Amino acid sequence: MTGTWISTRAWLLMLPLLVVMTAVIGWPLVDTVRLSFTDAKLVGSEGDFVGPANYIKVLTGSNFQRALVTTTWFAVISVAAEMVLGVLAALLLNQRFRGRTALRALMILPWALPTVVNATLWRLVYNPEYGALNAALTQLGLLDSYRSWLGEPGTALAALIVADCWKNFPLVALIALAALQAVPRDITAASLVDGAGPFNRFRFVIMPYLAGPLLVALVLRTIEAFKVFDIIWVMTRGGPANSTRTLSILVYQEAFSFQRAGSGASLALIVTLLVTILAVAYAALLRKAAGAS
Amino acid sequence: MSALEIRNIHKRYGEVETLKGIDIALESGEFLVLLGSSGCGKSTLLNIIAGLAEPSGGDILIGERSVLGVHPKDRDIAMVFQSYALYPNLSVARNIGFGLEMRRVPPTERDKAVRDTARLLQIETLLDRKPSQLSGGQRQRVAIGRALVRNPQVFLFDEPLSNLDAKLRMEMRTELKRLHQMLKTTVVYVTHDQIEAMTLATRIAVMRDGRIEQLATPEEVYDRPATLYVAGFVGSPPMNILDAEVNASGLKLDGCEEVLPLPAAFNGAASAGRRVKVGIRPEALRLAAGSGGPRLAANIEVVELTGPELVTTATVGSQRITACLPPRTALRSGSAHAFTFDETALHLFDPESGRSLRTE
Repeated sequence: MTGTWISTRAWLLMLPLLVVMTAVIGWPLVDTVRLSFTDAKLVGSEGDFVGPANYIKVLTGSNFQRALVTTTWFAVISVAAEMVLGVLAALLLNQRFRGRTALRALMILPWALPTVVNATLWRLVYNPEYGALNAALTQLGLLDSYRSWLGEPGTALAALIVADCWKNFPLVALIALAALQAVPRDITAASLVDGAGPFNRFRFVIMPYLAGPLLVALVLRTIEAFKVFDIIWVMTRGGPANSTRTLSILVYQEAFSFQRAGSGASLALIVTLLVTILAVAYAALLRKAAGAS
Repeated sequence: MSALEIRNIHKRYGEVETLKGIDIALESGEFLVLLGSSGCGKSTLLNIIAGLAEPSGGDILIGERSVLGVHPKDRDIAMVFQSYALYPNLSVARNIGFGLEMRRVPPTERDKAVRDTARLLQIETLLDRKPSQLSGGQRQRVAIGRALVRNPQVFLFDEPLSNLDAKLRMEMRTELKRLHQMLKTTVVYVTHDQIEAMTLATRIAVMRDGRIEQLATPEEVYDRPATLYVAGFVGSPPMNILDAEVNASGLKLDGCEEVLPLPAAFNGAASAGRRVKVGIRPEALRLAAGSGGPRLAANIEVVELTGPELVTTATVGSQRITACLPPRTALRSGSAHAFTFDETALHLFDPESGRSLRTE
C-alpha cells in the first residue's frame, strides 16, 4: 500500500518535467523521424512519404562524406591537443611557485567565456588586415605578408582547431589538476627514493590517478567536439569552399539554408546516431576502467 | 665507522623552528628509533635524512659522505612509509623491483633479487598480484621488500606499523626484529609507540619540540630517564610523578606524613629544602607485607584487571598514584593499604628544568 503510494507520488512529482521533456525533446525527435522519410520543405510543402530516399541520398552524397571527414579531423586533433595541453598545464599549476593561485584562476577564463565571445575574439586575432597573429608573425619575420587565415581552405580548419583548443583545454586542465591533488605524497616520495625520473614518475605514480578522470574529460570533449557548431558558425560558417563544414553545419545548411527539412532531418538523425554510438562506446570504456580500478 | 651522522641539524619553516640542533651518530648495524609525540619533528628529521626535505642548517653524512644537496636516489637509503606507498598499477614483483628497474639492473639479476626478498618476507605467492588485492599486512611486507631488495646503507622507516591493527602490528614488530637480527642493517625508525621503540631499538632518541630529550639504549631510557618528559612518555601506564621536598631525613611527599629515604644516586644533587619531583614506575610498587623497606600509605580508589596485571589507582596523601600489581591481589576499592618499593626505583627531577637529578 505504502509502496504504491510512494511510487504514485514519485510519478506525480516527475510529471511536470516529463510533460516538458516530451514536448521539447520527445515530440520533436519523433517528428524528425517522420520528416526524414518525406520530401518536406521548411516552408510551404508538408511533403510526401518518400521512404528511405533521403537516407540513401545523404549517405551516398559527397557532402556528407566530406563533412564526416572534416568533423573527425576537428574532433580528433582538437581533443588530443586539449588533452596534452590540459595535462601539461595541470602539471605546471601543481608545482609550487609564486602567483600560482592567481594563474590557476586566470587559466579558467577562456573556458568561462561564452563560445560566441571566444569565436569573435579569435576572428579578431586572425583578421587578414589588422589581426594580431599576422602582426606578430610578420614582425618576427616568419611571414612576408598578411594572410587570411580563415579565408584560405588550407588554414581555416587549423585556425578553428586552435581557437577551440584555447577555449576547452582549461576544462581538461581543471579536471587533471583535481586528479593530481589525489596523488599521495608518500608514493611520490617513494618514487624519488626509488630513483624514478620525471617521465617514470608521470607514468607509474601520476598516471594511475589521472587516467580515470582524464577518460571522463575525453568522453565529454569528444562528444562535444563531434557536435561542434557555434564556434565554426561564428568564425567561418563552414567556409571557405566548405573546408570547415562539419556535420552540424551541414545539417543546419540543409534544413535551414536550403530549406530541405526532409533530408535535413535524415542527416540530423544520422549525426545523432553517430554521437550515440560514440557515447555508448565511451560508457562501456568507462565502466571497464571503473571495474579495473 | 659511522653509517649515519646527523650534525647539528636545524629546520625552520618561516618563523617556526621544528628542529633545533639534532646530533646523532649511528654505527653500522644500529637500530635507532626516533620516538616522540606528533609534531616533535621526528618525521621531519627522517625526511631530511632521506633528502625529501632540506635542512636549514647542519649536515647529514651517510657512510662518511655529506649528502646535503644529493638527490634521494643517490643517498644509498631506502624508505618504508606509513601508507605503504605502493605503486597501484604495478604487480607486487615490479613494486619490489622498481628501484632496481629504475637503476637499470638487468632483468635476470632483478628477478633473482625480487624472488630472494619475497622468500625472506614470505610473500612469494603474491608476486603477480596488484597492491589492491593485498591485505594491510601483506602490503606492508611488500613495502619492506621494496626497501630490502636494494640493500642500501641505511633503512628509513616512517611509522610503518601504525596503519595495522593491534595483533598484526605485534607480528610485524617481531618480524622486523627478526629481519634486523638476520640482516644487521642500519635502521632509523620513526614512531610514537613506545612499545615499538623499546622492543626494536638498539638506541632510542626521545624527541620533544625539535630537540632530543635523551639518546640512549632502551634499558637506559626506561631505567634512568633523563627528563620528566622521557619518564612520562616511556612506560605504560606512565611513571607516577609526585611533588616532594628534600629535608634532613629524606624526601617528604606533599600532603602526607611519610618521609621516603633519599636514594644514593641522588645524594649530591638534593640539598635540604629543595623542591623536587619524585618519579616511581607503577610496576615498581608492591603491596607492603611486614615492616621492611619504605612504605607509602595509600587509599585504593579504582582497581582494573587487565589480565596480566591489576592496575590500581590510589591516593597517597593529596596526590594520586598508579600501581601495577599481580592479577590475583586481593584489593577492594575504598580500602587502605601500604605500598613498598626498592629504594633504587625512585627517580628525582628538577621541577623547573625537568632534568633528572641523578649524579651517578
